[in-house]
Amino acid sequence: MSVDRRFVLKGMAWGSLAGLTMGASLPSLAGVSGAPGAGAGSRPVVALVGRETADSAFVEGVRASGNPMQLQKMDSSLSVMQQLDMQLRSGKPMHIIGLLDDATAALVIDQARSAGARVNWVGQHMASAGQSRHHLLNTSLAEGCSRQMSRQLHACGAGFSLNEERSGSTAPARQLAGPARTMAHSEQWAASLGYLLGSLGVRRPAMAPLVTANRMPLNGSFVSFSIET
Amino acid sequence: MSEQNASLLPKGVTQENFNQAVNKFRALLGDENVLLEQQQLVPYNKIMMSVENAAHAPSAALTATTVEQVQGVVKICNEHRIPIWTISTGRNFGYGSAAPGQRGQVILDLKKMNKIIKIDPEMCSALVEPGVTYGQLYNYIQENNLPVMLSFSAPSAIAGPVGNTMDRGVGYTPYGEHFMMQCGMEVVLANGDVYRTGMGGVKGSNTWQIFKWGYGPTLDGMFTQANYGICTKMGFWLMPKPPVFKPFEVIFENEEDIIEIVDALRPLRMNNTIPNSVVIANVLWEAGSAHLTRAQYTSEPGHTPDEILKKMQEDTGMGAWNLYAALYGTQEQVDVNWKIVTDTFKKLGKGRIVTQEDAGDTQPFKYRAELMSGVPNLQEFGLYNWRGGGGSMWFAPVSEARGSECRKQAALAKRILHKHGLDYVAEFIVAPRDMHHVIDVLYDRTNEEETQRADACFNELLDEFEKEGYAVYRVNTRFQERVAQSYGEVKRDLEHAIKRAVDPNNILAPGRSGIDLDNYKKS
Repeated sequence: MSVDRRFVLKGMAWGSLAGLTMGASLPSLAGVSGAPGAGAGSRPVVALVGRETADSAFVEGVRASGNPMQLQKMDSSLSVMQQLDMQLRSGKPMHIIGLLDDATAALVIDQARSAGARVNWVGQHMASAGQSRHHLLNTSLAEGCSRQMSRQLHACGAGFSLNEERSGSTAPARQLAGPARTMAHSEQWAASLGYLLGSLGVRRPAMAPLVTANRMPLNGSFVSFSIET
Repeated sequence: MSEQNASLLPKGVTQENFNQAVNKFRALLGDENVLLEQQQLVPYNKIMMSVENAAHAPSAALTATTVEQVQGVVKICNEHRIPIWTISTGRNFGYGSAAPGQRGQVILDLKKMNKIIKIDPEMCSALVEPGVTYGQLYNYIQENNLPVMLSFSAPSAIAGPVGNTMDRGVGYTPYGEHFMMQCGMEVVLANGDVYRTGMGGVKGSNTWQIFKWGYGPTLDGMFTQANYGICTKMGFWLMPKPPVFKPFEVIFENEEDIIEIVDALRPLRMNNTIPNSVVIANVLWEAGSAHLTRAQYTSEPGHTPDEILKKMQEDTGMGAWNLYAALYGTQEQVDVNWKIVTDTFKKLGKGRIVTQEDAGDTQPFKYRAELMSGVPNLQEFGLYNWRGGGGSMWFAPVSEARGSECRKQAALAKRILHKHGLDYVAEFIVAPRDMHHVIDVLYDRTNEEETQRADACFNELLDEFEKEGYAVYRVNTRFQERVAQSYGEVKRDLEHAIKRAVDPNNILAPGRSGIDLDNYKKS
């Protein structure tokens, strides 16, 4: 736990605020056939982070999900991308999640396509001045994630707007928003995101994390993703 | 294996018909090469254009590994009227990414057709399949110590020669006009025939990658930026690696300098003193490529004010315009040409010359020098972080290589972009007579209002440039119909007459460059 930023685990109180069902399971993301154990949860989690997100609430959110997780630093250089390409094509089952800058993420997602990996979630995030905006493209296997994220942000008073497109759906994009009631939780979006992506396909921990920012918040533009090999 | 549900089908295709086609695709390609699940399709649908992803969502994606399989796919598509959108490596980021032009089209992804069929180091030519990347070619050339050099676009390592050339992309070496260096295509036509251009139809010919024109009509060009066939092999020429390579930069302080830069440069390009596709990048292109971000200078909405641009120039030493070029040849040749170049800019009385020795490993000089010498890198992706938000649409009008024209285009583009609260992030890629004026319209896709502004801005750019007699040479799939209109009805009528003749069922990439039998003149 960072000395500058701390998770305040408020247990039942937070769970109640967020309207969560304790111990409920998030959707399995790799459930092509719906077979138990075929989901993202059965794969090692690799979290790709960049210079700005390596020590962010996103990582703390992933850690709070309770899954064993390997952190991997990324940038948009050719050598790093070549390493990722080898990983993607290694044949080893992996659940790769991440929060990266636009340039690096554009390359990562495209490398995933070329390697024939499955992508369950692509999120575009913009955060500044205590507000965050989110544009999500995901699959039905991530059902409930955006609602859960919005409930968490709403409950802690972090201002946000969220637009969710469901891949392949004819339904209009889902739009959710909440006003900022406090600046104390301006990094909550990153923590909630890390928690959700880290929890995909596994039993959710009993308590959802609430992050209180005590230093420079994670501002700027980022892209999140969930990839399965 | 799950069936596709009715929510996303190709236009005019019933679920039953689609399922029958899918079953045939599976029998032909194997289950693993018929992608129907949304998890498999999401990465084909991450777009950067100013519409929702759904507008360009595919109903399925297919991967083929042989020419025979491509022929089989075409046959099935004809039987079931399935429209297919073909990609090679799918790295056409600012011009539409890997997503199909129209919602519901089936993607034919040729990434697995990735064989380097031949590189001839004596004749300096290559023959490759569509999935071959420049990175793969570069590694092959290095591993085999071949005395040749590649030319590629900025995404270099991850993009490929077939896709780039078929979209008439350019690079930064003396071989930078890629379609000009193309020599021999193999194309699967909509009726399943396999057509080879140039000398490729002659049995036993060894000049397919040597002589472009063959006999009678030369048809290569009609397959570029078009939907008359699927390119399954392409030949192209490689530049012999020169003994001496001398990259340099000339930095200019003021926006107005573009007039003198271009007029001084044009004779050097025309007489081949400077043989490569020169780049003149403005300060924001330079900044993004050097991995600076807008947030480092301002958090104010709207365009970045000129005072800040000046401050950036002062802080970094970048110019308002930054010219990158190189000399190639023997030491004697380079020495002579270097004197001509330095004399030219000395006479101009403007411009600070920077050599490789001056620049060392600093960016963006380093990546520019690499691109001009055929060494791949991904440095220019930093542009996507300048503003952030995932929106990027390249507006690329053609200009005369005449200073006054470049100034006029730059001022017009900047005025329109600023009116819409967006930045003028631009470079000119300089041929002897023309320039590709490439502008990256960067915006925040998480902001609906800004996305609509970017869309309006792009439309206004097209409209206002057209009023001045300008048009783009290439565009993303969101605006391809609009751009086709700029080029006139006679051209469009002819293109559709050809389409009716070679693809009467309109199965190959309907809508590509505005060619679509289902829509054109149907209203």
